[in-house]
Amino acid sequence: MTGATAALPARVSARDDQRSPKLDLWICWWVFPAFYTLFGLIFVVLTRVMPPPRPGVGVDQINSFFHAHGTTIKLGFALLMVFIGLASVTNGLVAFQMKRMSVKPIFTYAYIATLAVGAVPGALFAAFAFLAAVFRPDRDPHLVALLYDVGLLTFVGSLGCFTTNYLVLALAIALDKNKVFPMWMAYITFWQIATELLAAPVFVFQKGAFAWNGAISFYEGTVIFVVFLGCLIVLLRRAIQQQPMDELVQD
Amino acid sequence: MAPTRSERLNAQSVSLWLALVFGAVLLGAFVSFPGFFPPMSPDASAQQVAAFYEHHQAMIRASMVVFNLCGVMLVPFFMVIVYQMKRMATPTQVLAYGYLSAAASGVTLFAVANLFWLIAAFRPDRDPQQIQLLNDLAWITFIAPVGMIVAQNVCLALAVYLDGRAEPIFPRWVGHFSIAVALAMVPAAGAAVFRTGPLAWDGAISFWLRNSAYGAFLVVMFFVLRRAIERERGEELDAAAELQLHAEAVR
Repeated sequence: MTGATAALPARVSARDDQRSPKLDLWICWWVFPAFYTLFGLIFVVLTRVMPPPRPGVGVDQINSFFHAHGTTIKLGFALLMVFIGLASVTNGLVAFQMKRMSVKPIFTYAYIATLAVGAVPGALFAAFAFLAAVFRPDRDPHLVALLYDVGLLTFVGSLGCFTTNYLVLALAIALDKNKVFPMWMAYITFWQIATELLAAPVFVFQKGAFAWNGAISFYEGTVIFVVFLGCLIVLLRRAIQQQPMDELVQD
Repeated sequence: MAPTRSERLNAQSVSLWLALVFGAVLLGAFVSFPGFFPPMSPDASAQQVAAFYEHHQAMIRASMVVFNLCGVMLVPFFMVIVYQMKRMATPTQVLAYGYLSAAASGVTLFAVANLFWLIAAFRPDRDPQQIQLLNDLAWITFIAPVGMIVAQNVCLALAVYLDGRAEPIFPRWVGHFSIAVALAMVPAAGAAVFRTGPLAWDGAISFWLRNSAYGAFLVVMFFVLRRAIERERGEELDAAAELQLHAEAVR
């Protein structure tokens, strides 16, 4: 408690200077659309992970997939190696807005922790597997096929980190009395949990709606994710605008 | 009970000393890993890679077990940076949360890379192609994903620039230095793509520049943090003295 109360006067008096009072929040907000545009460019256009190539294919077809897209996979995932950290900045912004909610900051810390975990199996493992698959043209084709499965199953099938992440966000919004985010955002976030559950069968099916490229496991989940993300970005902007200049945020 | 100030200051000092001790231990492991001096060539054949693991099995295991045990010991050091960022008179604490999230993900990558080296060394009689793949994954995971460190350093630099205190927590040059280190590390993302030249994982830029820039960052931040902790202690002693004077005046 001493730390929080002692730190506050310095923070408030610092506003005397002429800089934009919410500059750090706006920088982090702009990172959101920038990162997810780049994410789309990398995963959809360059590396062809989204929409995913078919699971039920033979070793030869897998190798020709990597042969056909080797250059763009290298370019796309090298970009991801540099810019993946922007995801952490977006975490920070959501976490900060959660701190403004009337609930104790437990969900905030859980939000940061779950996404810090999720970035590694949920995005970077796919990149490592695909990069390794195209690193040596003379690699044993069966090992290349193994990397294909590692990349796509970790990408589509990293469920729990995000399920927990959505759960704590939805709970924080639902319990918040300060109305930082509207209640309907909690419902959309709960839907995100449902999409993660519906992606669980990717570990079983090689074709059909529940395969990693299926109508339910991939397309339905992705559509809801895009809606969720769009709402989150718009609501974050609104939350920053509506945040009072002299508001004291819990430490 | 909230921690008293002296306890918190002690936690910071202890974290710095932990970083010094384990930094030295990690440097020892770095120097003794047979694959770093000189760094293994990504162009080596599967047979050459397998022979390397067979000849150097003991030292590979010893050095990588040390990486495994001690790499994450630098986390308290990064958390001292988070704490000091939270003391800054920035408009909000959002950059500290972004830094925390990036640090957690970044350390996870360090924790994964040594596992691939240790798995590769576990059965030297494995198919050389498989050993080569594990070796590729170790090197790619160790060198290429610089994005988390880049995000950490950019968050730190922005916070330093936005710190409105009359006497900033960190001097401004720490911001410039932090950005310079991030820029020096960015090209190492190419280690996941190139097998020869300065951007390959054994190259002048991806190996030597990247690793020495990061080493320099840790050393410089050790002294910067030590100074910040001393100044914090001074400020708190002053505040306590002032409070006592005030109490006496009231009496």
